[in-house]
Amino acid sequence: MNSKSLSLAELAALVRDLNASGTSVVAPVPTRSLCGADYRPITELNQATLNGALPRRSLKELFLPASEVLLRYRLKKNDVELLPVPTTFTPQVILGARPCDAAGVAVLDRVMGWDYRDELWFGRRAATTIVSLACPGFDGVCFCHAVGLNPDASLGSDVLLVPRGADAYWAMPVTDKGEALLARGTFADLVEPAEVTAFRKAAEEKVAKNLASLPSGFHTFMAQSFDHPEFKAIASRCHGCGACAAVCPTCHCFDIVDEPEGMEGGARRRNWDFCATCKFTVHASGHNPRATQNERFRQRVMHKFSIYPQRFDAVLCTGCGRCVRACPAGMDLPEVLGHLYAAQAAGGVS
Amino acid sequence: MNIYQPHLMRIDEVVAETSDTQTFKLSFKDPQVAQQFKFLAGQFGEYSVFGEGECTFCIASSPTREGYIECSFKAAGKVTQSLKRLSVGDTIGFRGPYGNNFPLEQMNGHSVVFVAGGIGLAPVRSVIWNVLDLRDQFKNVTIIYGARSVGDLVYKRELAAWAVRHDVKLWTTVDPGGQTADWKGEVGFVPAIVEKAAPVATDAYAVVCGPPVMIKFTLPVLAKLGFAEERIYTTLENRMKCGLGKCGRCNIGPVYVCKDGPVFSAAQIKALPPEY
Ligand SMILES: Cc1cc2nc3c(=O)[nH]c(=O)nc-3n(C[C@H](O)[C@H](O)[C@H](O)COP(=O)(O)OP(=O)(O)OC[C@H]3O[C@@H](n4cnc5c(N)ncnc54)[C@H](O)[C@@H]3O)c2cc1C
Ligand code: SF4
Ligand code: SF4
Ligand code: FES
Repeated sequence: MNSKSLSLAELAALVRDLNASGTSVVAPVPTRSLCGADYRPITELNQATLNGALPRRSLKELFLPASEVLLRYRLKKNDVELLPVPTTFTPQVILGARPCDAAGVAVLDRVMGWDYRDELWFGRRAATTIVSLACPGFDGVCFCHAVGLNPDASLGSDVLLVPRGADAYWAMPVTDKGEALLARGTFADLVEPAEVTAFRKAAEEKVAKNLASLPSGFHTFMAQSFDHPEFKAIASRCHGCGACAAVCPTCHCFDIVDEPEGMEGGARRRNWDFCATCKFTVHASGHNPRATQNERFRQRVMHKFSIYPQRFDAVLCTGCGRCVRACPAGMDLPEVLGHLYAAQAAGGVS
Repeated sequence: MNIYQPHLMRIDEVVAETSDTQTFKLSFKDPQVAQQFKFLAGQFGEYSVFGEGECTFCIASSPTREGYIECSFKAAGKVTQSLKRLSVGDTIGFRGPYGNNFPLEQMNGHSVVFVAGGIGLAPVRSVIWNVLDLRDQFKNVTIIYGARSVGDLVYKRELAAWAVRHDVKLWTTVDPGGQTADWKGEVGFVPAIVEKAAPVATDAYAVVCGPPVMIKFTLPVLAKLGFAEERIYTTLENRMKCGLGKCGRCNIGPVYVCKDGPVFSAAQIKALPPEY
């Protein structure tokens, strides 16, 4: 399929058409505090903001909800009845996703499909079409360029939109699902116009200034730098609150707990959990393999920039910068990375 | 199939091993699952009490004994304490088998030395019975088992059975002060008894499970006896939730204990960052 031209009015009609046909549409909606946006269902396009406001939380929760029922159980005398949850979902279209958020979902596909397929994750993935909106480069702490993405990256997106002025978009189908979505309307073909190319180039140049690309061999350097003083120097500032992981599009740790619902039954749920918290790895004996905050902060950085690249051949970070903006202790991941780059350049492990 | 959905199992037998440790004999309620279920020594599962949650135990019975599995657990916290309150006929959940296994194929045709401390005998017991059920395929079998006190020894009936077998050399020990008046075994910490038993390392594999301090002090003794690090196997017990490589709980550096383990050689463990 050729790339297309979409006017704001055509996009609004598409939102109405999707809703009418039973497909829910999710888009960045301004928060009540007017600071940022949240990905929320919309029925009309004018409820959404497509002007580049960064949703406070990532797309992750649309595929891995903060608390999700894995199954329900009903207790009977000497017996238990299990009530499975469905693994097929109502179709949804995410409109105006950040390219970095769409990429985060694609990066997580690797662990979610590792030998055992997580049907709850992939059920939602199958039901979802992601329409990303190229980003103008958000602020001084995003660093998607450094992790191999870009403000117009199409990884994880089914369609990529790039703005053309205030009320039109250039639409590039990326996958079959994206083509099917664009086939719902009669949109005019449009070869990438110069203004779109200029927008993409300007955004890339802007973001590239925030942090240099990960040096080659960085994950190997990290694997050998478990005892790097950088971790001790900065990690003691971390409160272990887990806010960074909650807002992160790629942090995916979870806990599994039972929650009774009355006397006769209840639900087994998975709830987001955070490796920075102090009880995360405590054994029943009381022994804790990650006894101090240094180790817990290090785990988060290692998982993203060393472990995941080793195991899944992808960096577990999209450079969205949310962890930097959310951290009450002022931990600054690109700054930490910058220090580690310097250490690698200076000849490795101290 | 939702990978988090457990199978239902019936508790067929409960054995109180010590004041806080029990063994359950379990069978699958669904005959089709019962028929298809296969596992290897060293693998583990997620056991659950509905309403309380899941927890991780090894499968303590041998794959050579079909039709049931056993687990032994210590009442330590929320789920294990509520498991302890269950009795014969009750239903629990089980997901598994997960993880890798002891290299029985490699060990075949060799001598095997088992060293265990406390409830660490549970994973070792699976291998012991596996080896004993195929006894003529192995050379010498030595079992060295210790606990804090006589009351803390698990599988006492099986220790008695191994003690009288001529094809097994069994050493039992309790920590100094843990003996009773009629205790006939050794008194001393496990590493010291391994040194005293001095099993021959030639052509032998060692399987070592128990509290971290026991493992820490046993490994140098085995090294001194001539066991290569590649021939010493143990299990790691990092906290787990999913058992499936998803939840991010159990890793030690790049190694996911639930997927790459729980069985590791001493050589593999030496290469890991110290987060276990
Ligand atoms: C591969 C593997 C195999 C295993 N095999 C066995 C086995 O065969 N037998 C066996 O007995 N065990 C085994 N274990 C250990 C077993 O998984 C744990 O003992 C069990 O999960 C404890 O669960 P629980 O719900 O009872 O404890 P939890 O309720 O989770 O708590 C255990 C302990 O954690 C601490 N804790 C928990 N919550 C808090 C809190 N809020 N504040 C402070 N401290 C807290 C306490 O010290 C508590 O006693 C194995 C573990 C692994 C990883
Ligand atoms: S880095 Fe910041 S946000 Fe993350 S756990 Fe530490 S204090 Fe909380
Ligand atoms: S680690 Fe920080 S910058 Fe990277 S994806 Fe997560 S929240 Fe975004
Ligand atoms: S227990 Fe969940 S990843 Fe290993």
